[in-house]
Amino acid sequence: MTKKALFVIVVGLLFIIGLLPVIAMFVKSVLVNGHFSLTPYHGLLSSARQWTLMGHSLLLATLVTLLTGVVGVPLGVLLERTDLPWRKFFTALFVIPLLIPPYIIAVSWFDLLGQDGLLTSLLGPVVTGFTAQYLFGLAGCVLVLFSIFLPIPMVLTIIFLRTINPRLEEAGRLVAGWRKVLGSITIPLILPGVLLAVMLVFLFSFGEFSVPNFLRYSVFPVESFLQFSAFYNFEAATAAAVPLALVALMLLLFEAMFLRERTYQLSAAAGLAHRAVINLGGWRKVCFALVAGTGFILVIMPIVILIIQSAGLAAYAEALHRAGDSLMRSLKYAVIGATLLTVLGFFTGYLIQTKALRIWRIVDSMTVFLFALPGTVVGIGLISLWNTSWTNFIYATPLIILLGYLAKYTVLTSRISINQLAQIPPALEEAAQVVGAGWLRRMLLITLPLARRGLLAGWLVGYIFALRDTGITMLVYPAGYETLPVRIFTLMANGSPQLIAALCIIMILATLLPAGIWWIIPGLKDSVVSK
Amino acid sequence: MKNPTLVLLAMLVLLSSCSQHTTSQQEVVVYVSEDQVFSEPILKDFEHETGIKVRAVYDTEEAKSTGAMNRLIAEQNNPQADVYWANEPIRAEVLKQKGISAPYESLNGRDIPAVFKDPDGFWTGFSARARVLVVNNSIRNLPESILAYTDSSWSGRAVITNPLFGTTTSEVAALFTIWGDDQATQFMLDMQANQVAVSTNNGESADFVAAGQADFSLVDSDDAVNRMRQGKPVTMVYPDQGADEIGCFIVPNATLLIKGAPHPQAARTLIDYLLTEATERKLAFADCAQLPLHPGVPTPPELKTIDQIKVMQVNYATVATKMIAIQPFLKRWMGL
Repeated sequence: MTKKALFVIVVGLLFIIGLLPVIAMFVKSVLVNGHFSLTPYHGLLSSARQWTLMGHSLLLATLVTLLTGVVGVPLGVLLERTDLPWRKFFTALFVIPLLIPPYIIAVSWFDLLGQDGLLTSLLGPVVTGFTAQYLFGLAGCVLVLFSIFLPIPMVLTIIFLRTINPRLEEAGRLVAGWRKVLGSITIPLILPGVLLAVMLVFLFSFGEFSVPNFLRYSVFPVESFLQFSAFYNFEAATAAAVPLALVALMLLLFEAMFLRERTYQLSAAAGLAHRAVINLGGWRKVCFALVAGTGFILVIMPIVILIIQSAGLAAYAEALHRAGDSLMRSLKYAVIGATLLTVLGFFTGYLIQTKALRIWRIVDSMTVFLFALPGTVVGIGLISLWNTSWTNFIYATPLIILLGYLAKYTVLTSRISINQLAQIPPALEEAAQVVGAGWLRRMLLITLPLARRGLLAGWLVGYIFALRDTGITMLVYPAGYETLPVRIFTLMANGSPQLIAALCIIMILATLLPAGIWWIIPGLKDSVVSK
Repeated sequence: MKNPTLVLLAMLVLLSSCSQHTTSQQEVVVYVSEDQVFSEPILKDFEHETGIKVRAVYDTEEAKSTGAMNRLIAEQNNPQADVYWANEPIRAEVLKQKGISAPYESLNGRDIPAVFKDPDGFWTGFSARARVLVVNNSIRNLPESILAYTDSSWSGRAVITNPLFGTTTSEVAALFTIWGDDQATQFMLDMQANQVAVSTNNGESADFVAAGQADFSLVDSDDAVNRMRQGKPVTMVYPDQGADEIGCFIVPNATLLIKGAPHPQAARTLIDYLLTEATERKLAFADCAQLPLHPGVPTPPELKTIDQIKVMQVNYATVATKMIAIQPFLKRWMGL
């Protein structure tokens, strides 16, 4: 097989798996009883409720974005550039909420602040009546999504700080203090990273449905999900999904115009070992207390609450009895999904990195667009395309779940591959080519072995995102093939809080085990951004 | 990865396991709108007792118990399910009217009162919830009728679940069939005038009453029984039990066979199983505390038996039709 043929197949797969379902969904939405009709869209635009929902979504996404930006960027600076103690521990700690299904964090806060929450036993029902009132609504959603998406600006700040040439800061330090250098040199230099973080947080908050759904705050993705899962109204669900797709598209354009060249290949600047560290002096203890307090409230406390709520082995025994099969299925699908994502992501990344086809930029944009689309939209698209008797081998089997993973998450493994491939000197492949080695041979003997760390990192990221997926799986899973996040969701209706908490803890453990490996294996996490 | 061929083979085996069903044993596919926490143990028992593997899709609470029904509608030309376990007969009626269900009269359902069955056998009711008033214990003169919602002495003190969803929709539609459009519409408008609060679901309504934020609410009997078992300060009232009153609206589960079911024999076996007295007894003593419809099946102490309740006499087919007809009015009522 020639190199070009392989990449044509890769592009074809991406199109069939990712874009075709979305196109099928839109086509169905404008064909009412076989005739072209824009009635659902007219209904959408003329409904005051839809505009209210749009306002809610924009407000929620804006507040979460502002909060995470204001806290996340300084946090990233503190953890990367200062002498704050336990920096690595805190970095890992703050990343945890991003790795687990978002609604689990919401369940935990509910167990603390809800009407019958732990706070009731400590402070009485008057206080929890007040806290529950605010938890269910905008304030609760902002709190939960803030804790989940805080790691995005934090991690991107850390990554972009590593790309700054230390000499620029050193020159600034000759004439000014750290405060001035940070404000005038460092922050402006990492601005693309901050903007990227802001864009991602906005996109994720805007598209998030499980948390607002749980906390009863009406937003656009919940409307889209309800129109579909409650009413199976393709037209209305698709119409409700259009604004989400448009926002995703607008932000994609923004990324393409202003950020792409700056964020494609991040390589740490030379001389990192000699980078000056900001001495916090008297502020060291204060900063430590602030960071530790924030980490305790946002990460440790929610997990501890779930552990307390699930107290006793009986709850775990019941959880495994009721959902052991779902757990095993989740692990199986996550392993297979991660492997497929790694393979498809690697070749997609290779195509983009080497510009092997003229349409490499379109391919990249397509993967980003699909990632930016809410999972519910991808799910609706998959059902639109595959729900026929001819395609039951996909629709009625777990293959449809795997296709959902591939559609949405290929961009993650593709971007990781791009970074890894960028670090392999082209001269190695060129030398092999000169002595007559074919493309496949060069790929197998040179590129793949050198990219193995990136492949493993991509696999782990794919595993985590496949395992935590709720939006797609919830809509498309065939009878008897539900995953653990879906099982937790369906058991929430009248399931005991102890059982739900135990299932959440099991889910967290299943997710964090490979994430732990990520941090334990030296240098693995740096595959994304080279040192 | 010392041996890539082995890894590749392992992946192929795993992948192929994702693209085929288990065919080595008999199986039945059931879509379930009853809460998973209550329905799953019954289905597990069925698996254990018959050896037939059950593959199920459960509704989420967020789908307001209509997700499974609508999935069945979407799959009408490509049926995946054999059986639907609805948590109320209205959905079953809708499926009958859309030509998605097939007739099957199980012998195990012959003792179930005719009012809880489709006359043509397209669905059969079992294990029911009663629509009751849950009342805070601080209230001395208990409301005894749903007309209390429009009584000015309860102004601003009552809560009702969003009538666009779930069993509240069904009950409102039932009232329209019993009272007629004018009287039912006036009742709804009077409720609004009496400052009745609206909650998102029955559980939340019951919690509002338990917390003293409202004096009473119309909810499902399982919501009331749950709060009572949790030691919350609430009482359950079966409304409209007087001789000239309309009676209590009963919401049975319903089971039906899907037209073109891939596993029709196993489907009938499952329907037979769901309609046994043993299943009703299990659901009565589970946390959902559902009323058995077979005569003589024991109930937990909090519940009356079906023959001790004055039941609202409705035709569920008419209620189903009315439910669709009043949707625009209910949306306006909700300000949508």
